[in-house]
Amino acid sequence: MAEAKPASQKIWLISNDNATMEVDRVVVERSMLLKNMLEDLSHTDITQDNPIPIPNVNEAVLRKVVEWCEHHRNDPVTTPDDESDARKKTTDIEEWDQKFMQVDQEMLFEIILASNFLDIKPLLDVGCKTVANMIKGKSPEEIRKTFNITNDFSAEEEEQIRRENEWAEDR
Amino acid sequence: MESLSTAAGHEPNSLSSTPSRSHYESTSMATAAAAASLTSTTPSASPSPALSTSTVTTLPSTSISFSDSVPASNPASASALAYQSSSHPPSRDNCERRREGEEETPSKGLIKMPFDLAGKTLSPFLKEHIPGLYAPVGKNLKKEANTSPSNELVNIKDPNTKYCYRHRPDSKCRRAADETKMGTIQRELNNLPSTDQEAITHVWSLFSAAPAKHRELMLQGIITQCCFPQLSTVSREVQEQLKIDFIATLPVELSYKILCNLDTVSLCKAAQVSRRWRDLADDDVVWHRMCEQHIDRKCTKCGWGLPLLERKKLMAWNRHQHTAHANPPTRSAEDSAEPAAAPAAQGSNKRAMVVRDDSGAKRSRVRGSPVNGRAQLDEERKFRPWKDVYRDRYKVGYNWKTGRCSIRTFKGHENGITCLQFDHNILATGSYDTTIKIWNVETGECIRTLRGHTSTIRTLQFDEGKLISGSFDKTIKIWNWHTGECISTLQGHTDGVLSIHFDGCKLASGSIDKTVKIFNFDTKQTWTLRGHSDWVNHVRIDSASRTVFSASDDLTVKLWDLDSKQCIKTYLGHVGQVQQILLMPPDFEPDEDPNADVGDAASAASGRGDSPMPLPEQAPDSRTAFGPGFSNPSRPLPPRYMLTGGLDNTVRLWDVATGKCIRSMFGHVEGIWGLVGDTLRVVTGANDSMTKIWEPRSGKCERSFTGHAGPVTCVGLSDSRMASGSEDGEVRLYSFEGNSLEERGTPS
Repeated sequence: MAEAKPASQKIWLISNDNATMEVDRVVVERSMLLKNMLEDLSHTDITQDNPIPIPNVNEAVLRKVVEWCEHHRNDPVTTPDDESDARKKTTDIEEWDQKFMQVDQEMLFEIILASNFLDIKPLLDVGCKTVANMIKGKSPEEIRKTFNITNDFSAEEEEQIRRENEWAEDR
Repeated sequence: MESLSTAAGHEPNSLSSTPSRSHYESTSMATAAAAASLTSTTPSASPSPALSTSTVTTLPSTSISFSDSVPASNPASASALAYQSSSHPPSRDNCERRREGEEETPSKGLIKMPFDLAGKTLSPFLKEHIPGLYAPVGKNLKKEANTSPSNELVNIKDPNTKYCYRHRPDSKCRRAADETKMGTIQRELNNLPSTDQEAITHVWSLFSAAPAKHRELMLQGIITQCCFPQLSTVSREVQEQLKIDFIATLPVELSYKILCNLDTVSLCKAAQVSRRWRDLADDDVVWHRMCEQHIDRKCTKCGWGLPLLERKKLMAWNRHQHTAHANPPTRSAEDSAEPAAAPAAQGSNKRAMVVRDDSGAKRSRVRGSPVNGRAQLDEERKFRPWKDVYRDRYKVGYNWKTGRCSIRTFKGHENGITCLQFDHNILATGSYDTTIKIWNVETGECIRTLRGHTSTIRTLQFDEGKLISGSFDKTIKIWNWHTGECISTLQGHTDGVLSIHFDGCKLASGSIDKTVKIFNFDTKQTWTLRGHSDWVNHVRIDSASRTVFSASDDLTVKLWDLDSKQCIKTYLGHVGQVQQILLMPPDFEPDEDPNADVGDAASAASGRGDSPMPLPEQAPDSRTAFGPGFSNPSRPLPPRYMLTGGLDNTVRLWDVATGKCIRSMFGHVEGIWGLVGDTLRVVTGANDSMTKIWEPRSGKCERSFTGHAGPVTCVGLSDSRMASGSEDGEVRLYSFEGNSLEERGTPS
């Protein structure tokens, strides 16, 4: 493998279920964890036979995460989380990401965990927003249904908590 | 392997017997075939061709081939083999036929099923794969060492890998048993002959004993055998059961992150879901964020803005959170933050007071100390959860939005009102009747009348110690409003005083004599700014940038440099006399302004707590717009935006640096006399006897209030109140605080 420009440099990742995949270095670098890791390594350290192990991420999820990174390979690098974060004007999920997130809950769960572990903040944001959108506008019972949650409040408690939160209702 | 071949052999047979893919046809055939098979086996078996049973009965056929193959030494590879051989012949093409075959196969298969053999082969399999259940952990590794090499590889790394890593026994992610589902399964099972029950149970136990890898293989094998209706069942079941309690299962910091994306209403609903959800959804981490986004600013997400709260407390708490970031924020972390934040919050009481509570018609940024009632309130808030703090503000914000308020009318002046200002305790009004009255805001009674001016009072401003008034009698008077005593009288203008504004040690005044005068209380210096060609109706000092704005009947607004005493900018656009100027807070951003970018807004906002004055966040070239006096980068620039109101019935939004009018706000049908506002709302009063509330970012009118019998000459605004003074001699004070209020005004 000719050691060409860094842009076309390839990196190999291996999932926890032993699937190896070849990914462009720029794509891999959407992950801050891997980016920092790669900076500490020389170009030749990572080969097809010596891929970077990604523990706790299985093949299906890793492919999904890589797919996201591929699509967002040219996005500007995000600034670290700070107070200004709350003031971002963009609150909606862009269309491609919305489609990307149309997966089952387990996959969504895994994507959130993987993006957190790999430190891909924009993906983590999209994941969290997707879950938030699943909660938004629902009654407590509807939320329980959506996530299969058992109501562990007694009837009296439930009534009391309902009254505590009544102020936010539309009157 | 012989039973395997027979099981597989059945399929082609049944295949050929009914080649038709028609549902109805095959169903009738199925019944016939089932009936045939029944005679040879269990008479009790139901011949129903219904889909529901067919999904259940497919299982035994699979299980038979599987368990029968077990004796072939290696269970893992054998099962894989068995699947391949048994799942290939029945492709999806024959699914209709298989339904009928299903009725047949189980009964035949069951006879062939050697249960004792299954029992023998099953238990080692179970033992091997569920060591935690069937064997002590210690034996586990040894056992695995002499099983299949593929297993060995995986198992040596982690004895727990027989579970998918999310399904370890200690993991929270294990699904709880679904009672109703289990009930249904039990019932269905009970309806079957015991041999079938046993067979099905075998399949299940094999599956439950299998390690994650095997389970996946088993599922794949089963799914490839499924016809579309069965796949539909799978899909439905999966949809129904693949539900994860994200909030309770994810690491707490991620749960907070999700909750931080919710709106107020959803967050309150989330708190009612379960105990765990309540703990997280009520947490200070989440509500602090809500407070940050909404209090004293318009949330960019929902357009909601809530009244101010102690900013420094907000920031101190923020800092604490950042330092404590290493650990996920918890209740205890937040508790310890409170004492640390307390001293800072104390200091901020003043600031909060200064910025927001001096809101008369002539709003000012006066230095002062808190009024007692308010201080107590602030003190109390330090020990309250952020959700409660938010709730109080939300209620007020909701009332503003829906126009729910109570109205108090202040009557007593003998002539029209010309100017007003109020805070939490008092309202001060000036009138054509030459007097100033101090009112108790709560009771509506007149506490004191200040007499001394000999003509119409046209302007006033107070802080906690003094009140300064300007009159058509050409003088400015300084009063102790607590006692009613006039402390001093400033003479200088050669005609009536139309506007005064003090900030710190500086006092500015505008007059009919077309000049602006600046008086420095410390140095006792006075100087005159000349340039307007008509009455100067309004003056505003911007202390930070050392500038003064003035509005005039000559249709212009001028910006003066207090260092050079020169006019550095003139704003042209109004086609009527300009009556009012409102300097917008630094975090204000109009909606469609092309210059408004996120980064700038963010950095400007981060400095808000330190100074109520605008910070030099503008582009570098905006500095040159203000002339050589601003070449020193350490000199703060004037506010970035201002609103002006005039007798041309419009409110205009200006970019202060470029001098461009960005937008005109239309709605009043006669000239505008009064204009006040903050980040959340702008209030105007006009000659058309109306008071209007506007949304400052969009410039849209939100609500209009009537009620005065004459032109509205002045307006005032605070967090929860709004006041209008009129030539009819009355002040109407609208209070948006409280419960069960009536809707007033007309929404736009």
